Amino acid sequence: MALKSQVVLKDILKTYFGSLKAPIAWCTSVGPAEILRALGFEVYFPENHGALLGASRLAGKYIPKAHQAGFSGEICSYLTADIGAWIAGETPLTALYGLKSIPHPDLIVFNTNQCREVDEWFSYFGREFDCPVVGVYPPRYLEEIGQHDIDNVVVQFQKVIAVGEKVIGKKLDYERLKEVLRLSRDGSRLWKKVLDTAQKKPSPLTFFDGVILMAPIVILRGTQTCIDFYEEALEELTALVDQKFGAVPDEQVRIYWEGMPIWGRLRSMSELFINNQATIVASTYCNSWIFDDFDPEQPLASMARAYTQIFINRGEETKLAMMRQMLDEFNIDGVIFHDCKTCFNNTNSRFGLPKRIREEVGVDTLSIDGDLNDLRFFSDGQSRTRLETFIEQLKAKKQDAGRKSNV
Amino acid sequence: MSETDKKIADCYLGIDLGSSYTKFVVVGNDGTILFKEVIATLSRKRDQFEKNMDEIARRFDIQKTCSTGYGRDSYSGDMQKTELICASAGVSAIVDCHKSVIDIGGEDIKIIESDPNGSVVQFYMNDKCSAGTGAFITEIAEKAELEIGEMDEFARRSNSERMINSFCTVFAKTEILGWKFKGVPIEDIARGIYLSIVDRIAKMPIPGGLDIYLCGGVIRFHPYLRDLLAEKIAEKITIVPDPQFIVALGAAELSRKSNSH
Ligand code: SF4
Repeated sequence: MALKSQVVLKDILKTYFGSLKAPIAWCTSVGPAEILRALGFEVYFPENHGALLGASRLAGKYIPKAHQAGFSGEICSYLTADIGAWIAGETPLTALYGLKSIPHPDLIVFNTNQCREVDEWFSYFGREFDCPVVGVYPPRYLEEIGQHDIDNVVVQFQKVIAVGEKVIGKKLDYERLKEVLRLSRDGSRLWKKVLDTAQKKPSPLTFFDGVILMAPIVILRGTQTCIDFYEEALEELTALVDQKFGAVPDEQVRIYWEGMPIWGRLRSMSELFINNQATIVASTYCNSWIFDDFDPEQPLASMARAYTQIFINRGEETKLAMMRQMLDEFNIDGVIFHDCKTCFNNTNSRFGLPKRIREEVGVDTLSIDGDLNDLRFFSDGQSRTRLETFIEQLKAKKQDAGRKSNV
Repeated sequence: MSETDKKIADCYLGIDLGSSYTKFVVVGNDGTILFKEVIATLSRKRDQFEKNMDEIARRFDIQKTCSTGYGRDSYSGDMQKTELICASAGVSAIVDCHKSVIDIGGEDIKIIESDPNGSVVQFYMNDKCSAGTGAFITEIAEKAELEIGEMDEFARRSNSERMINSFCTVFAKTEILGWKFKGVPIEDIARGIYLSIVDRIAKMPIPGGLDIYLCGGVIRFHPYLRDLLAEKIAEKITIVPDPQFIVALGAAELSRKSNSH
């Protein structure tokens, strides 16, 4: 069943893309969008475009173009799909929202809290558009976050502000920044509540709903539209919880998805889980846009903390602790790690985390090979075999445990 | 006496639609194997499948059918299970202990920890490339001008420790070519191919402390792999009877058990 909110979202996206008029700033998905909005920029997110290219299965057409232009086929396939589409002079935004091209930037801002690839990607477009590019380079892979780390990032945010002020020709109004940050925080808290409805059994939503519903917290963070949307979505999902509605009929096992979505396979994957009575109730990915620590009274410092403490920027111990908490809160039976060929940064199965989850948390894990956008790295048949076997393994264990507890 | 009277009552069919071969196993209500057959999966004579099914229908009163293997969806039986689940169930029909199952197939290698009831406890599959699988052996043997049927015998005559380094089939073929130019004896080449496969398997996460049962089509033609693996890994290693039918047997067993629930 499609959620009503997903229908509402279509209009919201249409309005958003229609409103992207100069001055426009490009920003990474977990970059300091609030500063740009407060300065008066419309904010555009190339990663959202990358995901769109993947979900519409156009990525396969454009990736080779970036490859021909000198980008390896084994680096971020958001980057290669996006740059390839630019080289081809095409975008799905034309058919979807009537845009002639991707919105041209007046300023480009990125934060390497997620990866260094965004630096290369955004800098390429800086050259293409002859436009100022400002990078924020926070300390990476932190376990603890100290005051010096926060101070480091605050200084870099100040540079973003300085360049932004120059481009837009006016000073940043700090009261406006506080207001945007409040909107961002409230939106993010509502988004968390939306995701937390999946703690209920059966869960009214799955990861496959989540990756659609998350659009506003990424691209409209810091706006009232974002808040209104999640208020409505939360109302709808709460009603579904009251009705004991399960997004997957006869939910038998509950799964945590670690890693990037496989954008070109959302539908078939969703069907696979439905057919096997398994619900992906939580994910690192959807939870990455929860910024609890935004504090309008300390805008820059709290943003520095919130954007530096995201999962992808943490050390393995902290990642394990964060996952442990989620596995517990969402009553998870098994974790699926997506070993994403072209996104090393969002792949957490390579330094022994699955084994630690099995041994230290006691939850079964599975790793599947795939990619966010490049379907040449994904095998439908082999993944299906693994997923179905894993789900069956989880079901058998639950039945066994059920039998034992009945004795 | 009519046709139906001659049929054996209360039987269960497992069909393993693998990448190279399709295997059929029929078991009776006590689990006894009553029939087994193998045909090429993508045979040009497509009616072979139908012929087999006709024969099974003529001789047995099939209560339930379970299909498995990569082609499991192409047959609409009563149930479909992955080949890992069936391999685990199949080996468990023969040995009812907590064990590891290693299935060396045409295109992948599967390692399954299987509990005494046949449920999968955990599993591991290599699937990024075909190194060490049936397809790998076939390609490399061809380059080495070795008949598949004679490889095992040749390899047993060698003591060489030389093995192929590359995981990639294309690079491995180049290596073999180099060996041939150097005049490496055919016996050493045969053993070298096996050693590289065994080395590959031994590096996979095989659960410790469990007896290992080997199954799949490859082990049937290359039983020497077992001996080499036993030298490398300290566990007890056994080749199951009729290793290439194990997955189909597991499918038949699962359909039999599902009926009794
Ligand atoms: S985090 Fe991964 S997918 Fe996202 S931009 Fe970086 S490399 Fe690409």
